[in-house]
Amino acid sequence: MARFHPLKVIDVRRETRDAVVVTLEPRDEDRALFGFTQGQYLTFRRNFDGEELRRSYSICAGVDEGCLKVGIKRVEGGAFSTWANENLAPGDEIEAMPPMGKFHTELDPEAEKHYLAIAAGSGITPILSIIKTVLAREPKSRLTLVYANRQVSSIMFREELEDLKNLHLGRFSVLHVLKAEAQEIELFTGRIDAEKMAALFRHWIDPATIDTVFICGPEAMMLSVAASLREHGLRDDQIKFELFASSQPGRAKVRPVPRAEAARAGNGVAATVTLDGTTRSFQMPCEGETILDAALANAMDAPYSCKAGVCSTCRCKVLEGEVEMAVNHALEDYEVRAGYVLSCQARPISDRVVVSYDE
Amino acid sequence: MSDRMNIEDYLAQGGVLSAPDNVPARYRGELLRLMSSFVDSELAASAGFAGAINFAPGIKERIAASRITLEKADHAERVLQVMADFGTDMARYQASHDWAARVARDADLGAARRLGDMRLSVFHYPIVGWTDAVVMNVLQGLATGIQMSELTRVSYGPLAEVFRKIAPREARHAELGLEGLARIVATDSGREEARQAVAYWQPRVAAGFGLTNSARYETLARFGLRHSPNEVLLSRWEALTAQHLAALGL
Repeated sequence: MARFHPLKVIDVRRETRDAVVVTLEPRDEDRALFGFTQGQYLTFRRNFDGEELRRSYSICAGVDEGCLKVGIKRVEGGAFSTWANENLAPGDEIEAMPPMGKFHTELDPEAEKHYLAIAAGSGITPILSIIKTVLAREPKSRLTLVYANRQVSSIMFREELEDLKNLHLGRFSVLHVLKAEAQEIELFTGRIDAEKMAALFRHWIDPATIDTVFICGPEAMMLSVAASLREHGLRDDQIKFELFASSQPGRAKVRPVPRAEAARAGNGVAATVTLDGTTRSFQMPCEGETILDAALANAMDAPYSCKAGVCSTCRCKVLEGEVEMAVNHALEDYEVRAGYVLSCQARPISDRVVVSYDE
Repeated sequence: MSDRMNIEDYLAQGGVLSAPDNVPARYRGELLRLMSSFVDSELAASAGFAGAINFAPGIKERIAASRITLEKADHAERVLQVMADFGTDMARYQASHDWAARVARDADLGAARRLGDMRLSVFHYPIVGWTDAVVMNVLQGLATGIQMSELTRVSYGPLAEVFRKIAPREARHAELGLEGLARIVATDSGREEARQAVAYWQPRVAAGFGLTNSARYETLARFGLRHSPNEVLLSRWEALTAQHLAALGL
């Protein structure tokens, strides 16, 4: 199971008014874990008022740059992205899981491919990593980037893309599509939709030359671009998607105020939890806290993921006592009958409960 | 870009999801269930075929059975790796069941799963000889081919890609089976034995297509995890099977 490791913040560069590029460095012993493939992302975790938030951001560095960089655009009301934009500073430490994601294709130094990349807003981050890596590692391949933004001032990596274009003339071209600013060529004003794609294919890009397409942006854009690509003869296996990794705005949740009865009950529940062959006993409140939260609070690294009663990663078996699940979208009736519960949803209703993650 | 849309609408319109962080909770549950069913079935199939290696009458057959045993385990691992992105503990997962365990030959499981083991029920039945192994592999291999037409289109992009890589190798397993079966039916006794095995395995493989008018299908279709209902897939398999068996005089 992937674990979190501390990364040191080396640099925080303001990229646009509401986006920063953060350079990170793993500890020496974690260096191999943080080797990455172009187009991958990092998942960070941080506590906001006692609530752990996890957010994923794409790596925008090329694989040969020798560093980890992520672009973080501030999302309205987003606790994590706002914190990163306003408070993160060199010298800070932030916890992250090793890189994940499959938004890439195999590279071959002999390949002569034409890649089309279509990005909107901060969707450029994984695409930039792909562009830089392909330019460096597939010297005979070329890329065309179609990049949608609101206006010139909101374009992330505008200068870096310009530099890449100049450095790799004939191999890399960029078409900026701006929603709120008129450009000399009308085609480049507006948004990327079916009509725009058809026009691009008519005037600028021959779909028959394209080997692979990378698309990263919001849902509506991905749907219209994918439909248009299929219409122009591209197969599903030629189209690579990356939806904005954090599609939820990520407001830090307010912790519910404990109910009066819970406080009154006083003694709490005697809980015994077995994990990885280790058994720990502790008191937990009679109401409110789940088995999973109690185990985590007692420094047990209990497996969990969605905390929504669905993925079943947090399944454990009740050996003694009784618990009640708030919701159960994952376990079948027969599993429940066998004593299994989703620990993220399970609250004790007896004053003693013994559960095991090992069975 | 602020033009975000509801993720369920996006999926209903054919949208593709790309990372664990952007899948909705219910989708995640169904996706994990779909993946675990595949992983468990492949591990059980591999474990079952491991025994068939020693039933093989010759080297060629032995190599075919070994290859199927190896590659099905490999396919299980590839999909399990996608589950691991969702927090599944790979090491624990692959040791969670006895994949070689089988019920009695005459047991009747219907389409039921057993405990936490999500393998298709057909993989709970024991293989009793070489002809039996070949026939099971042909019938289930053709069924897998039909299922692959669904799996290669699932709306979770990284999984669809894994299935697109697996599909041609699974198709090859079915071909190996058909080649083996052609050798078996060359003799009268072989053909008779094959007929009996077909009678045994056909209903058990058919059960793997699930219930008709399945309520879960509706949910899965809404999520873009399924595209054709169980009954449509089943009738496609029945037609395909009839065609192949007829060609072999079965």
